[in-house]
Amino acid sequence: MSERSVFLRVAQRGSSFLSLVKKLWQHPKGRVGLILVGFLVLVAVLAPVLAPYDPYDVTQRAEKGLRPSLQHPLGTTITTGQDIFSMLIYGSRVSLMIGISTGVVLAFLGALMGVMAGYIGGFVDNLIMRIVDVLLVIPTLPLIIVLTNFLGRSYFVIVLVFVLFGWTGLARIIRSLVLVLKNSNYVKAAELAGASRWYVMTKHILPGTSHLIIMNTTLTCAGIMVAEAGLSFLGLGDPTAISWGKMLAEAQGGGALLFGAWWWILAPGAGIFLAVFSFMRIGIVMEEVFNPRMKASSSIYKLFKHLNNTYLEEVFRSMEDEECPESSQEPDYLDASHAEGPP
Amino acid sequence: MKRSYVIKRILYAVFIFFVVLTLNFFIPRLGVRDPAERYYPPRGAMSDIEYEIIKQFTREQYGFDVSTFQQYIRYVQGLMRLDLGTSLQPGSPKVTTLIGQRLPWTLVLSVSTLLISLIIGLLFGTLAAWKRGRWQDTMLLNASTISIALPSFFIALMLSFYLGFELELFPAYTNPNMVAQFDWSWKAIQVVLNNAALPIMSMTLGGIVGYSQTTRNSVIAVTNEDFVITARAKGLSHTTVLYKHVLRNAMLPLATSIGMSISGLIGGAIIIERVFNWQGMGTLFLEANSTNDYPLMMGIMLFLSAFAILANLVTELFYVILDPRVTVGDRR
Repeated sequence: MSERSVFLRVAQRGSSFLSLVKKLWQHPKGRVGLILVGFLVLVAVLAPVLAPYDPYDVTQRAEKGLRPSLQHPLGTTITTGQDIFSMLIYGSRVSLMIGISTGVVLAFLGALMGVMAGYIGGFVDNLIMRIVDVLLVIPTLPLIIVLTNFLGRSYFVIVLVFVLFGWTGLARIIRSLVLVLKNSNYVKAAELAGASRWYVMTKHILPGTSHLIIMNTTLTCAGIMVAEAGLSFLGLGDPTAISWGKMLAEAQGGGALLFGAWWWILAPGAGIFLAVFSFMRIGIVMEEVFNPRMKASSSIYKLFKHLNNTYLEEVFRSMEDEECPESSQEPDYLDASHAEGPP
Repeated sequence: MKRSYVIKRILYAVFIFFVVLTLNFFIPRLGVRDPAERYYPPRGAMSDIEYEIIKQFTREQYGFDVSTFQQYIRYVQGLMRLDLGTSLQPGSPKVTTLIGQRLPWTLVLSVSTLLISLIIGLLFGTLAAWKRGRWQDTMLLNASTISIALPSFFIALMLSFYLGFELELFPAYTNPNMVAQFDWSWKAIQVVLNNAALPIMSMTLGGIVGYSQTTRNSVIAVTNEDFVITARAKGLSHTTVLYKHVLRNAMLPLATSIGMSISGLIGGAIIIERVFNWQGMGTLFLEANSTNDYPLMMGIMLFLSAFAILANLVTELFYVILDPRVTVGDRR
């Protein structure tokens, strides 16, 4: 391996990433998503600069329950007089960090499991799919609560738990695509030429699934951000950080409903909405860019399945792929999308 | 052929249950050297010897005095007698009794949510499929995007704020006396309905959109099938084709998605129950979590998983009966 070829490969990867961003940028909806995500990342990174007050400062007793004004653009909390605008800015950090880091780690694990199950097959496939079956019947939210109870509630544990129980969906999707790729000529050629399993998996199969992985990762990020907000809302998130879900819980506990402090509820809600919406937008647009045949609705439908932790339909789908691997190019979508056309 | 398939599926479900059960047994033993550690009372001012005696007593009380394998055997034997263990709550109630008390209240919420969102979703979905590409369809699409990005507990808070506190249409928090005073009289039922209105509303919103999407997509898929084109070519009217040919067949994917939501019926509302302080399974679980009532937590977990396994099994078998095109032998 000369230095030059490594450099070339990095450049190739970089340019393919750039061209993806370019494609997204050319799509009107994708542009909105990209701008929003960029904006959120910027806000999260620059939080200490942007926030006008210290969001952790709970000693401003004189400024309790102020309505939105010029001094406090989104008002202050009723209980401790914290500036909500600053809290909102800091809250983006938790959401984005947990959402993106979980999404990325989960993509690795899910892709690895899916490729292994699909390509090696046999015992490995059986084992992985049985694990998936078990994970799918255990109720996710209670399990996460149990594990955070036993293992602690730090940022690391939360990400770990989300990853451990979230990879099943991606693994299934990747597996069914790998079953198709496995029979393609270039893979057969590589095998005949004597390439090792690992080589074929990383050099030939994985690149073929990369678009699915990237797309799925953005959608997972969105889903995880909703889940994280829910967990924080239950008071089970990282106790030291300010997060949007926790803000909502504090608002409810602090009597925002009773005293009519609508700004205290609306602000974190808008934050969650914006973050999830922008990631979802990018995911949906990616799906359209990669698969022009697909309509946006099916990826929304897929996200629903993510969020509802739905089980059975995926089982049927996986059975169907086993019956006819050729026809299951995009097995995770509802059949409607294939047949969509003039009636 | 069919019978062997049914037996296979049942055996597989039993196998999955045993794996879940084993996991359920070992999860509380994660990360601690002494599994009884979580059960010891706070030490206080006790001397070493006193505390050792207390520890020994606790170990015996919760069955930690035998080897792990024997504990596992006991646990499985208990389950055979439908015994999920004893809660740490005062009075040591059985976990099954506690679940039995809360389960009906969760079902009130989840079953009505399921029915309402199913009916409305079916209507909307059919409409959107029929008017594909027009504003009705676009509206559904936009509604789905928005409703996913808005977490259900935020919707619940807003509803509770606006309909509960501002307009005072419905109680914003569940009446704490509702459960104790329930006696099947018409008045008590009215109170329950009144209290359940907001939780149900906040949950149906997402459900409606989900079912509409499923219905829309499956109706469109069926519309493109040959037999529908044949029916239209025979000169049958729009409505006849819709009801007799399209909707009947479009029900199949919907049946699966109902089956999926059934498995989530009893555990799916933790956050919403918390928002409204509804005394169901979700709040029971959260209470168990905050008081570190491990037997209760793990009991609820096992109960929820068992219910999910059962619901999936039934739906799977039902699907085979429902769809004659599914040839049983080919499936696994």
